[in-house]
Amino acid sequence: MIDAINASLFTPIGEDGLIGIYLILNGLKVTLIVTFFAMIMGSILGVTTTLMKMSPKWYLRWPANLYVSVIRGTPVVVQLVILYFIVLAAFDVDKITAAIIAFGLNSGAYISEIIRAGIQAVDKGQMEAARSLGLSHGATMKEVILPQAIKNILPSLGNEFIVLLKETAVIGFIGGVDLMRAGEIIRSRTFEDSVPLFTCALIYLLLTYSFTLLLSKFETRLKQSD
Amino acid sequence: MIKINNLHKSFGDNQVLKGIDEQINHGEVVSVIGPSGSGKSTFLRCINLLEQPTQGDILIDGQSITAPDACIDKLRQKVGMVFQNFNLFPHKTVKQNITLAPVQLKLMTPKEADVEAEALLEQVGLKDKADAYPSSLSGGQKQRVAIARALAMKPELMLFDEPTSALDPEMVGDVLDVMKSLAHKGMTMVIVTHEMGFARDVSDRVIFMDGGVIVENSEPEALFSAPKEARTQAFLSKVLR
Repeated sequence: MIDAINASLFTPIGEDGLIGIYLILNGLKVTLIVTFFAMIMGSILGVTTTLMKMSPKWYLRWPANLYVSVIRGTPVVVQLVILYFIVLAAFDVDKITAAIIAFGLNSGAYISEIIRAGIQAVDKGQMEAARSLGLSHGATMKEVILPQAIKNILPSLGNEFIVLLKETAVIGFIGGVDLMRAGEIIRSRTFEDSVPLFTCALIYLLLTYSFTLLLSKFETRLKQSD
Repeated sequence: MIKINNLHKSFGDNQVLKGIDEQINHGEVVSVIGPSGSGKSTFLRCINLLEQPTQGDILIDGQSITAPDACIDKLRQKVGMVFQNFNLFPHKTVKQNITLAPVQLKLMTPKEADVEAEALLEQVGLKDKADAYPSSLSGGQKQRVAIARALAMKPELMLFDEPTSALDPEMVGDVLDVMKSLAHKGMTMVIVTHEMGFARDVSDRVIFMDGGVIVENSEPEALFSAPKEARTQAFLSKVLR
C-alpha cells in the first residue's frame, strides 16, 4: 500500500521526471480555475438569460429559450468537444479558456432556470400587492420580489456550483490536464489503478463536502431572518 | 367617481363577468355579496386592473383606465387594495411595509413617511408593532397593517377583497372596526365580503352578484329585508339562516 502510494505519487513516473503529486496539484488548480471562472460567466449569462426569458418581446425570449433547450438537451462533454474542436478551432484559444467558455455556457443555462424558478416561487400576491400600491414593475422586482427570490436562489446556486465542479472532470476530452486527467496520466504510466483514482475521488469529495458544509451554515443564517 | 360600462371578463372560454354596469359615487360605501364563483372578486380586481377587462370600459374621475395610453401606475396610487391573504412583504418590517410605496414613488421623504406610518399604526391600533416582522403577527394584525399600508398612499378609493375571510373568527371584529371607522371618515369603499351583518350596517348600497351579472342593487335594508329577485332570496336564506 505504502509502496503503491510512493510509486504513483512521490517518485518520478516517467523519463521526464514527472512526479505524481505535482501533476495532481496542477490538475486540481486547473479544475478550480475552470470551475471558478465558469461560475462567474454562468452567473452573468444566467441573469441575462432570465431577463430575456421574462421579457415581453419575443425576439429576446426566443433565443434565450433556444439556448436553454439546446444546452439542457445535450451532454456537457459533447458541448465541450464541439466548442473546442469546431467553434473555436479557427481561433487561437487555449484549452483552459475553451473549457471555461464551455462550462460557463453550460452553467448559464442551468443558472437561468434556477433564477427563474426562484422568482416564480415568490407568491404572486406579492407582485399584486406592490403593483396595487402604484409601484412600477421594475421597482416591484427590485424592492419586493428579488429580495425574497434570493432566498430560494442561493441554495440551488450552491448546488449548481458543486455539480459544475464535478462536471469539469471531462476536460480531458479536449486534452486539458485537470484533476481527473492527472489521475489518468499517473494510472497509465504506473499501471497503478487504486492510488491515483482514489486520490482524485477523495479530493473531489473533500472539495464538495466542505462547500456543502459552508452552504448549510449559510442557509441556517438565511432562515434566521424569516 | 367610478363609472363602469358593460364590463366583460373571460379567462379563456370561461366567461366570468357578463356585462356589468355600475356607478360608485364619491364617499359611498358599496358592499358586493354573492355566492363563490359569481365574479365578485374579479369585478373588484378589474377596477384597479389586476385583471384586464376583455370588453367594456371603466372610468375613474372621468378618465378611462382601459385606454391604451392610460397610466396604470398613477391610477393605482389613487386606488388602495386590501387582499384576502394580506400579502404583506415578509422581508420588511411593519413600518417598512407602510413606507415603501410613498418613499419609492417620492410622494414623501423617508422622515415624513415614518411619521405617517406611526400615525396610521396608531389608527389601526398597532403602534407597538412598528418594528415587528409580519411573520410574528396574527392574521387580524396583518390585515390591519395591510389596511394601513394602503392608506399610506392617501387613496381616494379603497377596494377590499374578502378582507376577513382568512381570519380566525375572534380576529374579524378588529378588522371590521377599522373598516367601519374608515367608512365614517367618508372614504369611498368597495367591499367584497361574506360578512352580511357588516354589509348591512356599514354600506350605503349592497350589490348582489350571481353568474357574472349584478342581480340586485339597492340599499342594505331593502336588499336584506325584502329582496326582490328569487336568486337573492335563495342566497340570503342560505347565508342568513
